[in-house]
Amino acid sequence: MDYEILMPQFSDTMEVGRVARWLKKEGDFVERGEVIAEIEAEKAVMELQSFKRGLLKRILVREGQEVPVGRPIALMELGERIEEVRRPTAPPTEERKAVPPPIEEAPKVVPTKPPERVELPSGFASPYARLLAKEMGLELEELQKEGRLPSPAHAKDVEGLLRERYFTPKALELLKEYELRAEDLIRALPDRKIDEDTLLAYVEREGIPKRLPVSSVQKSLISNLSKSFVLPHYHIYEVFDLSQIPWDKDITLTHWLIKIVGDAMQFFERLRALFKEDYYLLYPHSNVGVAMAVGEELYAPVIKEVNRKGLKEIAQEVRELKKKAEEGRLSLEELQGGTLTISNLGMFGIRSFDAVIPYGQVCIIAVGMQDEKGMAHITFTFDHRVVNGFHGALFVKHLKEKVLDRNYIRFLKKV
Amino acid sequence: MLYRDALNLALEHALEHDHRVVLLGEDVGFYGGNYKVTEGLYAKYGPKRVIDTPIAENSIVGTAVGMAMMGLRPVAEIMTANFSMLAMDQIVNQMPKLRYMSGGKVFLPLVVRMPQGVAKQLGSQHSQSLEHLFASIPGLYVLCASDAVSAYHVLLYAIRMDDPVLFLEHVLLYGVDFPFEPLEGFDPFRARILREGRDVTVVSYLKMTHDVLKASQWLEEREGISCEVIDLLSLRPIDFETIYGSVKKTKRLVVVYEAPKTLGLGAEVSARVSEELFYFLDAPPLRIAGEEVPIPYNRKLELMAIPTPEKVYAQIVQWGRRHGL
Amino acid sequence: MSFLHEVVFYTLTMSQTLAEKFYYLMKLGREFELRCKEEYLKGNISGFLHLAIGQEAVHVGAVVGFGKGDLFCPYREHVLALARGIEPKLIMAEMFGKVTGVSRGKGGSMHLYEPRLDFYGGNAIVAAHIPHAVGAGYARKLMGEKAGILCILGDGATNNGTFFESLNIASLWEVPVLFLCENNQYAIGTHVSRSSYLKDLFLKARDYMPSVQVDGMDVFEVYRAVIKAKEYIEEYGKPYFIEALTYRFEGHSMADKGDYRSPREIEMFKRRDPLELLLKRSLKEGWLTEEQVRLIDKKVERLVEESVEFAKNSPEPSEEELYSDLYCGVCSDVIP
Repeated sequence: MDYEILMPQFSDTMEVGRVARWLKKEGDFVERGEVIAEIEAEKAVMELQSFKRGLLKRILVREGQEVPVGRPIALMELGERIEEVRRPTAPPTEERKAVPPPIEEAPKVVPTKPPERVELPSGFASPYARLLAKEMGLELEELQKEGRLPSPAHAKDVEGLLRERYFTPKALELLKEYELRAEDLIRALPDRKIDEDTLLAYVEREGIPKRLPVSSVQKSLISNLSKSFVLPHYHIYEVFDLSQIPWDKDITLTHWLIKIVGDAMQFFERLRALFKEDYYLLYPHSNVGVAMAVGEELYAPVIKEVNRKGLKEIAQEVRELKKKAEEGRLSLEELQGGTLTISNLGMFGIRSFDAVIPYGQVCIIAVGMQDEKGMAHITFTFDHRVVNGFHGALFVKHLKEKVLDRNYIRFLKKV
Repeated sequence: MLYRDALNLALEHALEHDHRVVLLGEDVGFYGGNYKVTEGLYAKYGPKRVIDTPIAENSIVGTAVGMAMMGLRPVAEIMTANFSMLAMDQIVNQMPKLRYMSGGKVFLPLVVRMPQGVAKQLGSQHSQSLEHLFASIPGLYVLCASDAVSAYHVLLYAIRMDDPVLFLEHVLLYGVDFPFEPLEGFDPFRARILREGRDVTVVSYLKMTHDVLKASQWLEEREGISCEVIDLLSLRPIDFETIYGSVKKTKRLVVVYEAPKTLGLGAEVSARVSEELFYFLDAPPLRIAGEEVPIPYNRKLELMAIPTPEKVYAQIVQWGRRHGL
Repeated sequence: MSFLHEVVFYTLTMSQTLAEKFYYLMKLGREFELRCKEEYLKGNISGFLHLAIGQEAVHVGAVVGFGKGDLFCPYREHVLALARGIEPKLIMAEMFGKVTGVSRGKGGSMHLYEPRLDFYGGNAIVAAHIPHAVGAGYARKLMGEKAGILCILGDGATNNGTFFESLNIASLWEVPVLFLCENNQYAIGTHVSRSSYLKDLFLKARDYMPSVQVDGMDVFEVYRAVIKAKEYIEEYGKPYFIEALTYRFEGHSMADKGDYRSPREIEMFKRRDPLELLLKRSLKEGWLTEEQVRLIDKKVERLVEESVEFAKNSPEPSEEELYSDLYCGVCSDVIP
């Protein structure tokens, strides 16, 4: 049985620790009290000593990796020093996922047994229920005796009764869509049954706003937009000659641009990069997002490995993704992994615009309308932390040449 | 930004811009503070302005009072609120009284900082929440902070004030990373509405605010109960105006705090709401608070002794069912 | 010869001036407090009233000797306040609880404050003001001021933990504070021998700072010791301790008859009444004439009478006074 070395808890508030440095490597013999690693937690670096003597068999956590307190970070084989050199069983590699990622906090909710509602003889009500009933002209106690209100009565009961009394069911449904409380309406239109028409007329007359719910997708989009907007970014505005691109209904300009941009990205590793504070993650392939409006919402699914795909394949994939988006079936996987996104508003006659980089990506390309000569305004927005002005300019220049390269276009068309 | 770094930033800002500001307390200087709140300040501002003191709580606050009387703006740190009991003479008999009984002649621009609350298995003498003791003393301001933004602004505001302020921190918040963006015109005497809701007003402060926010999320998702979460930054005076405004809307009040239920801050808040808004209430106010025991060492018992998000959730559901929500 | 003559003349005039000053302040203190007692019994003054009758030499000698500097006192501080120069009528009005009082009627006998005269109060918690003095001294030193702090404390305070905490901090931080312990031998009703292991209280401070014992019934001796101490703390910026042996002729407060002390003991100390000692010596040495004494007595009588009249005729605080002076409500804008 191997002895597990756990991520220690150095203070009562420490929850996670980072292995700053391994001072022993796999296959090393460790004496009791020897320092085997440096652990960084709560801004301080502390030494981790071994409580046992034995062979450090396996290191489970890479340097720089953060794990919760109490997780094994290495395995030891306890015992006496063995003279022969032992080979480590396997070199520590990125791929070996010995430590599962920290589990997202799951709400463990204590099941509550439903307590009985307090039952009292007629005549009891919460102070507010009493106030409401009086204001609305309800005889609380009588209604309780008739069994139409419970005792004690609360605001919800009285409001329910009022709604039932004054509203048709359809009007009640409709009411939910407006920034309007039932009680206020009853007060405004006393002594009558309120149906849909009355409600709509009232809403129209008083200028009551309608509530439009924000979907969870939009919420995350909004929050990402704001996060993205404060990052250091800059724009490059350029007019492109797109007259050489033979786009049609099947393979649209957007599909062409995805392909051309994807190919261009192969020459610029910074455009295939994700920013990770301490390092950049450089992807080998060009993963291009494409902004699409579906209903009221905006999605930017990602076409992976554009550089390996043909135009037709890309066109097909975009169509499929769009369909999925319409049906609300887009998976998280399909929305992630891009480093650059293309947004084309040319079909709406927009001449020129700029766009906000999707959070985590490095560039967005905003494509305006083509004029009669095939010229189009294209705006590039770059994350300055990843792509500096020099890189950006080279990339734009490269793209400008590509869209005019007839041989290349012809070649693309064939594939 | 970590909560402790936000406090450090406020202290550094004060030290940098006002030569009358001094820090004192056990281990605050060379060692950098037991919760590392004053780290780096000793090196930057020297031992005359970041002063290490002996373990003598009453005299730490006492000397700070004397410094403040002479026009310095001391910020004293008591290592934990539990130890402040040794300084209760200065905190209760001196700080709040000197200005009043001198007919307004003595000024005490003084802040006493201390962390409180249950951390993890620190035992009965290191785990108390004592805000209600201080908040019951006229002449003191009792302020606190529940995240990095409030920590920075409230502490800085406290140092700016010409009155004695007790500033409470929570041990478990020090290492928590919060989004941080300085605000203009921050007013610690105005409670923050951190989540808007229709059905229940939940008042809380310090670490409990985060437990309440978590519980509110579950309540909304699972029970359809919408909570309005109010975070108090000032425990004396309490911003009743904001609480009343919210309760007038929701008709229901819950107060969540870590100290034992009896005579805690929630008793005051619910009594005031009952006095002021009796006819607007649709249910009796509910207090979710600590058990009536010293905090035990054992982790299971320790968690039983204080509110947790799960308990807040469960108790609000039960109370709601009993009282027609 | 003429040089010697000059020195003699100089000391003589110095002693004359001092004797006149001491006699005036001690007599004022004595008469003022006797009048307080009278007004207390009439019901005009209420609450706790602690008289310093018998201890005037310590109070006057210390305050006059210390000169410029901040003063922190315990609750038996009428004579200290008078010696510091607070007008008798403002103190009397305070004891009457009138809004014209030195603390606007909110402090009472035990809480007289006048920061404009560097007088930081009577504190009613035994030993609580000692760390205030230390903090104040630290602040003054940090701000580059030289005068130092005079902290008066009673024998009872020297048994309190805060006293030792403060001695430690004052020495550790090198704070210019003169701790002056007036040992009147009783902590309310308990004799010092029954509350303190060390009977000579100055020994308690001797390991921390220079510490001496003086006769607290002789105003000149107190004065000289304080001057010497003041020079020390000003020059070195460090603390100093003086124990002045004295005796309280009255009870601890008006509620205390003081009958735990034998009549013989009281009689014995009364024979060394500091005011009488000063008067006898001054007349004998020729520092004061009978005529001067008569004039001072008259002036004191008039001042005390005026202060009572002032207090009586002053208005009660208005209702707004209940909440005023609690918080200053200012948030100073020094830190941006």
